[in-house]
Amino acid sequence: MKGAHILVTGAASTLGEALIRSLLADSRVQHVLAVTGRPVEEVCFDEPDRVTVIQVDLRRSRRVHDMLFGPARDLGVDVVVHLAMHHGAFREGSGVHAYNVEATRSIIALSERHPTIRRLVVRSDAAVYQVQRDLPVLISEDHPLNMGGSAPQWVRDRVEADVTACTRMGLSPLQIVVLRMAEILAPGTGSQLFDYLESIVCLRPAGYDPMVNLLTLDDAVVALQKAIHSDAVGVFNVPGADTLPLSACIRKWGRIGVPIPGAWMTPLYRVRRRVTGHDFRYGMNRRRFHYSGVLDGTRAREVLGYVPSHPVDWPADAPAEDE
Amino acid sequence: MPFPPAIARAIALSLLDPDEVERLRNLHFDDAGHGYDPFGMHPAFVALGLALAGPLYDRYFRVESRGHEHIPRSGPAVLAGNHSGNLPFDGAMVWVDVLRHTDPPRVPRPAADHFVPALPWVGTFFARGGVVGGSRGNARALLESGAMLMIFPEGTPGIIKPWKERYQLRRFTVGHAEMAIRHRAPIVPFAVVGAEEQMPQLFASKLLGRPFGIPAVPIPATPIPLPVRYHIRYGEPIRAHDEHPPEDADDPEVVRRVADQVRDAVAALVERGLRERRGIFR
Repeated sequence: MKGAHILVTGAASTLGEALIRSLLADSRVQHVLAVTGRPVEEVCFDEPDRVTVIQVDLRRSRRVHDMLFGPARDLGVDVVVHLAMHHGAFREGSGVHAYNVEATRSIIALSERHPTIRRLVVRSDAAVYQVQRDLPVLISEDHPLNMGGSAPQWVRDRVEADVTACTRMGLSPLQIVVLRMAEILAPGTGSQLFDYLESIVCLRPAGYDPMVNLLTLDDAVVALQKAIHSDAVGVFNVPGADTLPLSACIRKWGRIGVPIPGAWMTPLYRVRRRVTGHDFRYGMNRRRFHYSGVLDGTRAREVLGYVPSHPVDWPADAPAEDE
Repeated sequence: MPFPPAIARAIALSLLDPDEVERLRNLHFDDAGHGYDPFGMHPAFVALGLALAGPLYDRYFRVESRGHEHIPRSGPAVLAGNHSGNLPFDGAMVWVDVLRHTDPPRVPRPAADHFVPALPWVGTFFARGGVVGGSRGNARALLESGAMLMIFPEGTPGIIKPWKERYQLRRFTVGHAEMAIRHRAPIVPFAVVGAEEQMPQLFASKLLGRPFGIPAVPIPATPIPLPVRYHIRYGEPIRAHDEHPPEDADDPEVVRRVADQVRDAVAALVERGLRERRGIFR
């Protein structure tokens, strides 16, 4: 692709900023339209002549329309990367839903009839998958989704946004790619596990030690770059280079893992949230703290050429034989 | 696990024969990056499992086994056999037997019923030793990676069958046949003789099983297994994939026929094992 013009929503998020920096370093990219909900002056990038930052409230479909058929059309944007998603696990309500789901719906519908946009890359999440004892540990793209009505809005919105994108695949001229990313162990990414590991003592349900897969910001950016510059469409799992048990993850992060009866987890983490303001919500993570769920990246490897190659920089890494 | 692999390895080293330790160094497995495979298996826990189950194998159940030449040394394979004994010592003994009699050592991956991963501690320890939940997706992933699955096609109804029905095989499920055809894997039938008598069952309580998500809890007449002698027999591999293309895996008649063929082969091995043994304890 020569001289691509790329629109990135969620541009002020950790992932958005990392992606835009990487796009600016990519000679195949001519211009980036960075869309953020924050005031423009709070967001700055190197090479200001190759990036335009605009503030748009994605909850309002009219604003989304005006952004796509205004600055985006004028710039000749051909690829949209939709990263915007509320991170707060306890943020609920119609405004959050509008941001998480309705914005996705608007972007898809408007991009389908847009004169210059030909490709849409939607960032989804491994949290859309159901994890339970009778399901496979290795999660492929056809794995059951977490459609349970009892799931919190944080999960339901992610599933709905993902499915909204998937249902248009093949039905519109738009090339749609959904990247279901493993949890990015980094601040500002909405990672529940990162928030969980912020405490020196990490409680976990006694008797269980599930396998988890973790992605780094660098690998997430590589996957997005490959999705942007490919012609492939469809759903792709994006696993990270680190697959390990939860207990090892706690240990390598330099934390102390304390197994406790599972029934105590929810009340104790509720107290932790009230006292410290942390965002980790045990009820939302209960199943994956019991049963393993590891993304199978075969399709991303074979079709997009994505192979995770940036492992987590573990602060308390031990020599391999002592893992 | 309550302890890291380094401790598992240290315990295993202190219990295992040095030759065994040396042999286990050649253990092949799909390391996902931190010494574990994606399903949670870790060589240190395999060694620990061998160190703990070894004395049961050698001294308690005094396992006698034949037909190891039928176990493929590499590539995808399905071990399919009879299940019995109220507690899955039969699976553990076959696991040890295959590990000890393959060179380089192969870890058979037992496919357990869905309630097993939900059992605290037990589920985790089993996963570290190579046990996986018996879902189609897990079986597919393992066979595609060239692993050897261990399946008891009778399922839980086989292990909790009453005393008077011992050595009467239940109807085999067809999943193993379907997987073997689809993933071009030979099926190695095996029989375990002896396990049926280890814990004579008084009755099986569905009520007690409900809180644990287990189909039924068998109430045995003995609190611990009797020191019966195990006899394991492996039969000639059934190469259903030579006769059937992968698409036949979707043909219900074909997979039923292959599953029945496997069942007949296991039944014949059970008969042979019963004939060859000189008594329950010998």
